[in-house]
Amino acid sequence: MNFDWSFFWHYLLLPSGVFLHGLMLTVVISIVSQILGSVLGLAAAFARRARAKWLNLPARAYIWVMRGTPLLVQIVFIYTGFAAAQIFRFNDINLGFMVISGNVQAGIVALSLNEGAYMAEIIRAGIDAVDFGQTEAAKSLGMTHWMLMRRVVLPQTLRMILPTIGNQFNIMLKNSTLVSIIGVPELLLVTETINSATFRTFELYSVVALYFLMLTTIWGFVQHWIETRIAPARMPATVRPKGEILSFHPVAGEQ
Amino acid sequence: MSEAILSAIGGVPQADSDEVIVASNVEKWFGNTKILDDVSLTVRQGQAIAIIGPSGSGKTTFLRCINHLESIQRGRITVNGYLIGYRERNGALIEDKERNIARQRQDIGMVFQRFNLFQNMSALRNIAAAPIHVRGMAQAEAFEIARALLARVGLADKQDAYPAQLSGGQQQRVAIARALAMRPKVMLFDEPTSALDPEMVGEVLAVIRELAAEGMTMLIVTHEMAFARQVADHIVVMDQGRIIEQGAPSVVFESPTHDRTKLLLRAIL
Repeated sequence: MNFDWSFFWHYLLLPSGVFLHGLMLTVVISIVSQILGSVLGLAAAFARRARAKWLNLPARAYIWVMRGTPLLVQIVFIYTGFAAAQIFRFNDINLGFMVISGNVQAGIVALSLNEGAYMAEIIRAGIDAVDFGQTEAAKSLGMTHWMLMRRVVLPQTLRMILPTIGNQFNIMLKNSTLVSIIGVPELLLVTETINSATFRTFELYSVVALYFLMLTTIWGFVQHWIETRIAPARMPATVRPKGEILSFHPVAGEQ
Repeated sequence: MSEAILSAIGGVPQADSDEVIVASNVEKWFGNTKILDDVSLTVRQGQAIAIIGPSGSGKTTFLRCINHLESIQRGRITVNGYLIGYRERNGALIEDKERNIARQRQDIGMVFQRFNLFQNMSALRNIAAAPIHVRGMAQAEAFEIARALLARVGLADKQDAYPAQLSGGQQQRVAIARALAMRPKVMLFDEPTSALDPEMVGEVLAVIRELAAEGMTMLIVTHEMAFARQVADHIVVMDQGRIIEQGAPSVVFESPTHDRTKLLLRAIL
């Protein structure tokens, strides 16, 4: 086997500035897209649950399209496709201290839109999983829909879907490599660039794979920390549906 | 219970009109099935009325119509003098705005068969949440009332416990305290002991009995005949969506006139 260990160790332990910049882009794009996608997903989940057709139908269509087409196609479509059709062109934004290039914006938009569709379904399932009796109790106390969502249902939804969100971000970290197709110099594209100059494919892809493994491992620890912090003991894991299974009525009025 | 429960909320809440609940000719359909058929009932200030009847007789549905958790198709229900769930326009009833319905529900306490405590809140927060967020009460005041209520239902030491850490009987007592914290003009009890283990029924009934003794206006759907007889000053018997008989407990229990009532009571007593 032809494996250049010193090359491998060098790129693994002494990454170049370009490589570190790629790492930074991967992390930033993933975090921003996950946050935007979650916000979008929350809105889409509510729209999807709404009785009004003008909310419900667009939400359904959005989720259907984004979950039904490849992410890679969506990325190219939004950046290159829109520009080619002269629908919309992502221009660089100069913030003074830094420039956010058009392809980074398009990458984030595509990843967020895609993530939003999945998050919408996750959040919707999480909302529906909260016992409806609590919603009725909140209503009976005079709470409006939004108030009871905010105070009663969503806090429980969040706890329930936290492991799933963690899983989604793990996927997001790896899916962010797809924006390399539109020229965003994140980890994978940087690796490819170095590869085209050195042809040390096996060593370089080992390095990039290990970097992703490191990112997802760190995230695994962070996720565990968040989950333990948001008090799992408060979750009603021990609540049993008493009236239905475990007890009978002592002086039942019927039968 | 050494101290009166209602003293924790400043005494017996008084409704604006003597007739706290007036239901007239209420009709309710689920699809093609008539659930409530021409139900009329008046609950006056200070009355404790028990509704009994076989399963499927519509008693729980009727109770849920009173705070508009269920819609009605005919008739009208007023609480505290105001039409609930609907507005009248040109003689027709149209569904009211959510905000208005929510405002009226503030005055109607409800206790559910399955407790329905908020699982993400401690016992204390369960009780204080609505006074704070709905009534806009200061946190300190709301927690003080919540603590007093918890003490009166015998759970002073459970204020930080989450519902999952409480027994069914304890949860139901917290649920009663939660409803009372809003100073409701009337309390609706929907089979409050049906989901409890036998040994916990007594502690919940004791609280409800105490409330009745203190003069709280109440409408109780129950299967506990002995309890109904003891606590209520008026018994309503429902069957197949209709009120078939009503009157003083002694009359209904000792000399029922309707055959269905006789059958129902024979099955139990």
